[in-house]
Amino acid sequence: MTTETKPLAEAKEQKAAPMLASLREPRVYVRAVSLFGVLGAWEALGWTGIIKPSTFSYPSVIASAFLSLLFSGEMMKAAYQSSQILGAGLAIAIPLGIALGMFMGRSRTFEYAVDTFVYALYATPVVALAFPIAMVLGVDFAGKTTIVVFFAIMPVIINVYHGVRNVDPMLLEVTRSFCSSEWQRWRDLIFPSIVPYLVAGLGMASGRALVGMVVAEFLMSISGLGALSQDYIGNLEMDKGLAPVVFLMIVGILLTKLVDFFESRFASWRARNER
Amino acid sequence: MSRTAVMEERRANLSLRGLHKRYGSLHVLDGIHLDVGHQEIITVLGPSGCGKTTLLRIVNGLIPYDEGEVVFRSERVAAPRPEMAMVFQHFGLFPWKRLYQNIGYGLRIQGRPPEEIDRLVRRYIGLVGLDGFENHYPSELSGGMQQRAGLARALATQAAVLLLDEPFGAVDALTRELLQEELLRIIDVEPKSMIFITHSIDEALLVGDRVVVMSPRPGRIRFELETGFGRGREIEAIRASDRFQAMRHYLWEALRHPDSDPGPVPDGVSLRMEVKP
Repeated sequence: MTTETKPLAEAKEQKAAPMLASLREPRVYVRAVSLFGVLGAWEALGWTGIIKPSTFSYPSVIASAFLSLLFSGEMMKAAYQSSQILGAGLAIAIPLGIALGMFMGRSRTFEYAVDTFVYALYATPVVALAFPIAMVLGVDFAGKTTIVVFFAIMPVIINVYHGVRNVDPMLLEVTRSFCSSEWQRWRDLIFPSIVPYLVAGLGMASGRALVGMVVAEFLMSISGLGALSQDYIGNLEMDKGLAPVVFLMIVGILLTKLVDFFESRFASWRARNER
Repeated sequence: MSRTAVMEERRANLSLRGLHKRYGSLHVLDGIHLDVGHQEIITVLGPSGCGKTTLLRIVNGLIPYDEGEVVFRSERVAAPRPEMAMVFQHFGLFPWKRLYQNIGYGLRIQGRPPEEIDRLVRRYIGLVGLDGFENHYPSELSGGMQQRAGLARALATQAAVLLLDEPFGAVDALTRELLQEELLRIIDVEPKSMIFITHSIDEALLVGDRVVVMSPRPGRIRFELETGFGRGREIEAIRASDRFQAMRHYLWEALRHPDSDPGPVPDGVSLRMEVKP
């Protein structure tokens, strides 16, 4: 038995590496230098007057505009409006995407019935659908939410579908050999298999949902962060126009981190060995 | 043991009768007849692509067959059933389940009560020597340990028939010998009917009561040898015996020349040529 415990010992060693060790890694410094270098250069261009405040802005001015919008309450009001269509859109897109992807992956009949529409929609620039959607559903909540759904649902469907399709055929045979019912097969094999695919899909979906949200706010009735940005840019107040963009960037990063957290919770068996 | 009891013991509880399997124009199995007695261990030996694995999957009810029938306890086998359990060459453990859950998988599928599952899982973890590894994921274990788990999972279901598809084919040579010893020890504690597929002549002789030799595709049974080593086997003692060496040589020659008659058997070894219906 002693000859067989080696991989285990190795796994333990890797896990024991202290968190602080990351400070010694060069990537931390490379990233910091790159980030501050680019921001610094941009800032310098602003100070020397090469960037004119009426056409573009630079970091320190955007930062102060960001804070003033934040403290005046404008930013939060806009964010609240935006979050409603973003939240509603994702709340529809994620479960619906998972369900469609799962059925497409597991049932040939269902796949053939819907795949034409799915791939056609996948190939269509959704922005072009904004006006037809507005005509049918209106330019308010329903129309905007639908745009977000169209943006966000595709990566969820496609990834879940591929996850179901890529279930290890050998494990599928194991479940059959042990007389598993279809429901037990989902529980023991298919759901756990699609988690990594789903997580990747959710990451893409959250990014696309933000794009969809801004598109909806630009093109439909005036509301939210997109409208806030557009209003100020229209007044040539570039610093205030870009501040909501920075806000959206931060939200995008937070959403990605949330998805990573979700992954580490549900795929601990992979995290142990592959990180 | 009385004579009738012995007869009862040896009575076939699994029969393959004239089994044919074709994939399109490819004739994979060509009239396989095989009776597996109660607690008898059949090892199936044959060249790659002769349909050994197909045969096992048919017996398990995983794939359909074209002619003939598989009969288990007087019932035709058409789908997997809980009385048979498979040990897979590539272990077939769920990477996201800990060892304990993997070994209890078959029992959980059968809906056994949790106390029973716990009792059986602990017992078989002990029997295959994996005490202390209950909470490990398969990827944290060596191939040998993963296959011990695969074996424990099959044994835990209390299946009457164990189907083993080159179970030790994916581990290194040393581990393979350790696992063979382990399997023989487990068989002494828990006798089972087994169909054991292998590429290794040594393994076929060490593990089997009867070695079935198959021809290249289309797979037929060429002949069978009774190994006659009985229970309570000691691998080293068997290896050292003249009988083992004689049978080993005979099987080697037979496999090297798949198209010619294997010739006269060594002294004291009983041979059965394939019986055509």
